[in-house]
Amino acid sequence: MRTGPDAFALLDIALATLRGEVLPNVAPEGRYAALMVADALDIAGRELRGIDASGHAMLAALAPLYGEDADDTLAGDELRTRVEALQHRLCIEIAAGDFDHDGQDTLMDTLEALVRARLVIANPKAA
Amino acid sequence: MHVANPSLALPNIVLTDESLGRLSDWLAVQTGASRVTVTDEGRLGGAVAFNLALTLDVDGGPRAGRHACVLRAESAGRLAASIGRRREFAVLSAAVAGGVLAPEPLFFCDDPGVLGPDFLIMRRAEGAGGGFNVVKADAPEPELARELGRQLGLLHRVMPGAPGLERLPEPPACPAQEAIAQLRDWIGDLARRDPVLAWGLRWLEVNAPPPDAVVLCHRDFHGGNCLVKDGRLSAILDWEFAGFGDPMEDLAWFCARSWRFRRLHRDSGGGGDRDDLYAGYEETSGRRVDPRRVAYWETAAYLRWAAVALQQGERHCSGAEPSLELALTGRRLPEIEMELLRHLRAQGWADKAAATPEPAATPADPPEAASDAPVERVA
Repeated sequence: MRTGPDAFALLDIALATLRGEVLPNVAPEGRYAALMVADALDIAGRELRGIDASGHAMLAALAPLYGEDADDTLAGDELRTRVEALQHRLCIEIAAGDFDHDGQDTLMDTLEALVRARLVIANPKAA
Repeated sequence: MHVANPSLALPNIVLTDESLGRLSDWLAVQTGASRVTVTDEGRLGGAVAFNLALTLDVDGGPRAGRHACVLRAESAGRLAASIGRRREFAVLSAAVAGGVLAPEPLFFCDDPGVLGPDFLIMRRAEGAGGGFNVVKADAPEPELARELGRQLGLLHRVMPGAPGLERLPEPPACPAQEAIAQLRDWIGDLARRDPVLAWGLRWLEVNAPPPDAVVLCHRDFHGGNCLVKDGRLSAILDWEFAGFGDPMEDLAWFCARSWRFRRLHRDSGGGGDRDDLYAGYEETSGRRVDPRRVAYWETAAYLRWAAVALQQGERHCSGAEPSLELALTGRRLPEIEMELLRHLRAQGWADKAAATPEPAATPADPPEAASDAPVERVA
């Protein structure tokens, strides 16, 4: 078994060091790449910590349409599989024209909530 | 998503003394010179094509003298929408002939014995590039917006049948239907897994306008592909997605929120107002702007940008071109989808009598970049 720090703590200190000690001293031609590295570490950290929370937020987003299947006790692969199944079902219904005339407001609310749940990981500032 | 044609995937070229020698010899033949000295000035930006600044010193022949140029070559993972260097050369020629501020194309080479991949050489335009440079002025720049409109209007006077454009894909009978088919192809199976993309595609189908004019479109016309010098437009770059289509498509792409470079409140590419862009466009194009049709193509723009971002991510994931920039672009999908939803929310649905205007954005709108990192637009 490893000793501490764990992966989360390593990511945190790597990012803090990059921002606090490396970026202020990096040459202009390397700054863009350094900022991208910081961005990637940020996303990876948020994903490691928040993937299940994001999944639950996506289930909650889908609940107005498929409440009976939006089980918020799921976690890990089971949670991912349930979210994917419900999203697939929604895609099929959209493509079949089920929202062409009715239900667009509910659909738009659902879609925006789904995207916000993903932006919490990908780019919280755009949520 | 996939790379356009994996069999075309080529390693990025590197100019060694040996390949520079082959390039010099080839150029001497092309120019009728006794000798051409090629100086490598370093790689330029551009996440799709490989761009290299060169200086050519030509001894003898009709092009004798010193020329600042750019060499554009196929990169390792070509995007599905890319038309390749041969067609790009033809498009550049047609644009320059039409009076558009495009770099003058000089040479095209498809001999793999020279550098490997196909490449073209064009004149190097002066000016600062990058979208953030184009929109950096604190005050709106109405004259720049008008000039961008005028340039687009000039381009859109180039019609199917123009000399040299025979190699481009046939003009579509219905640009909207063709765009939908292309987007479905690019987005592929994800349209059955991502309901935002599924809804965007459905919206395009239900709201597709009937065909109207078909012209030569740039298809990646935004501030990041413009050079500006002393506040004036000096060149429009990156013509590798050009093709025949609905003229409103280019206006929509330029005005989409994705290309405002954090100046979301300025709906003409972040630098000015739509009215100025449209006025300049109508001056030179000989046609009126149809805002409703522009709004349709703006929906298509978000889906197209989403598809390109997916492809950029796949260029990294496939191993064709490992790149942090490409990898991060692939992670921008939800950000693009949120812009799509904001746009659709503003447009209403098909059975609404008229599109409602987009709510006025304010400088306090959330920044569009994935983070504070200046992740440049790469489409």
